[in-house]
Amino acid sequence: MWTIYKREMNAYFRSPVAYCIIGFFMVLVGLFFWVRNLVQGSVYFSDVLSSIVTYLTFFAPLITMRLLADEKKNGTEVLLRTAPMPMSRVVVGKYLAGLTLYLVMIGITFIYPIMLTFMIDGGIPAGRNFSGYVAFILLGACYLAVSLFVSSFTENQVVAAVAGVVVLLIFYFMQSIGSTVGGNFGAVLQWLSPLKRYSDFAMGGFNLASLFYYISFTAVGVFLTVMNVERKRWN
Amino acid sequence: MIEITNLTKRYGQIKALNDVSFHVKKGEILGFLGPNGAGKSTTMNILTGYIPYTEGSVKVGGYEIMEQPEAVKKQIGYLPELPPLYQDMTVQEYLNFICDLKSVPQKVRKAQLDDILYMVKIGDIRKRLIRNLSKGYKQRVGVAQALVGNPPILILDEPTVGLDPSQIIEIRKLISALRHDHTIILSTHILSEVTAVCSSVVMINHGKVAASGSVSDFSATEGSVRKFTIHIVGDKSSVQKVISQTPGVRKVDFIRVDKDASVFMVESGKDVDVRRPLFNELSRNSMAILELRPVGRTLEEIFIDIVNKDKNSADQ
Ligand SMILES: Nc1ncnc2c1ncn2[C@@H]1O[C@H](COP(=O)(O)OP(=O)(O)OP(=O)(O)O)[C@@H](O)[C@H]1O
Ligand SMILES: [Mg+2]
Repeated sequence: MWTIYKREMNAYFRSPVAYCIIGFFMVLVGLFFWVRNLVQGSVYFSDVLSSIVTYLTFFAPLITMRLLADEKKNGTEVLLRTAPMPMSRVVVGKYLAGLTLYLVMIGITFIYPIMLTFMIDGGIPAGRNFSGYVAFILLGACYLAVSLFVSSFTENQVVAAVAGVVVLLIFYFMQSIGSTVGGNFGAVLQWLSPLKRYSDFAMGGFNLASLFYYISFTAVGVFLTVMNVERKRWN
Repeated sequence: MIEITNLTKRYGQIKALNDVSFHVKKGEILGFLGPNGAGKSTTMNILTGYIPYTEGSVKVGGYEIMEQPEAVKKQIGYLPELPPLYQDMTVQEYLNFICDLKSVPQKVRKAQLDDILYMVKIGDIRKRLIRNLSKGYKQRVGVAQALVGNPPILILDEPTVGLDPSQIIEIRKLISALRHDHTIILSTHILSEVTAVCSSVVMINHGKVAASGSVSDFSATEGSVRKFTIHIVGDKSSVQKVISQTPGVRKVDFIRVDKDASVFMVESGKDVDVRRPLFNELSRNSMAILELRPVGRTLEEIFIDIVNKDKNSADQ
């Protein structure tokens, strides 16, 4: 598993992909930091994160699109499938590499709350800023699992990315669809919506059920990816 | 070591393999021959656990591949048709990655990689990016990859494709050097390659085994005639007359003059050995035999036969 992880981390930082994703993300964060914290004067950096959540719909598929498709393109899939290593470890290694890139992106944004503490007398409220980060990381972990799963259906990076965005958009609108539909079905949709929980979480309402929800959501996503990769062998 | 029994593979409607059976004994080097699309790569992909089969059974070292895939995969080094390389790695990094993938212990790793780099002769390019290597070098890195972990079985899909003639000879030498402690299956279109390095042959066509046996079987007398060439000193037409009158000889053809001797191709029935009567007749006429060499039906002839037979039956 760590073999695959190491290889994927290397691959990310050897191609321009990782730098482009990080660069784009930083521009976006900087922009919202300027608007929310500097212009509007919010003391919560978590407000910036909440504004960026929408764009995660695009970032997550960009991070995962090459993880599975590249092996097909290189003809190295045969290497992984004929190695004495189960595909589950390959997939988990790849997922963790994607997650690490995501964490690196988020890690860099720490400079903004640190700047805020120096700029504002008496510092910033730690609780809500902290829970904002936790929620953002958990949501991202879910999104990455979803887009990795979607990418396991195709051998083409571009298709993987586009399909990932589409599926994540469905999740994005799940809450509003749920409230429009109403009834039991609507309630289920709302309960399933990763975003609804995000807003609760980010407002400082640390919630064990939601934590559990995010972790199982991610695990199911990765598990389904493994199943799909195994299944594909049979065609 | 490898037992393939009634193997069938379907890709949707296409039957790529149809009831293929053959065995490979320990220490054997099997040449796997067949025209394009015969099913060579398919068989190899199944054997290495890359794709599953539809019916039949494949056992490697006593383990059935579908039941204990990891036990099988551990024993095999595989060079697929297209060498599976990461373009963004250097040769050294790539081979280290393969070591990780095959869980080669850290202690033996350096010595083993040095050995492999030396054997495949890529020591001087270990720091180069794979992307920038020539096709032949990429192929060699692919071979190196198959050798990592020192697996007892090697499966090589067209290992000499894309190499220049001297590299081809190098790879053949390498394969011959590996023969004493490895079991090897290699597929190829080059028939002389089989004669050069293999101990046995399986020929497939349209997913079926068309011929199989040891390489020496194929070079011995085959079919319904026995042929040999003979070099004789003497007047060409009188020699030809003597030969043709020898009992058992069906046909004599003059081929060429070789120094002071004439060379003839002599044909007899399959079950008749005309060499003794021929010797007696010729020496009675004081015609000296300088050389006598049996001519087998070559692998080429068999190969072409199989392909042609196939064409004929398709025409009908
Ligand atoms: N993924 C696939 N889907 C459908 N058909 C396939 C697939 N792979 C191979 N085939 C078919 O199976 C048959 C056998 O192909 P295979 O690649 O095993 O041939 P081969 O003997 O290796 O040929 P070559 O000498 O050209 O390498 C061919 O008819 C091919 O079209
Ligand atoms: Mg082939």
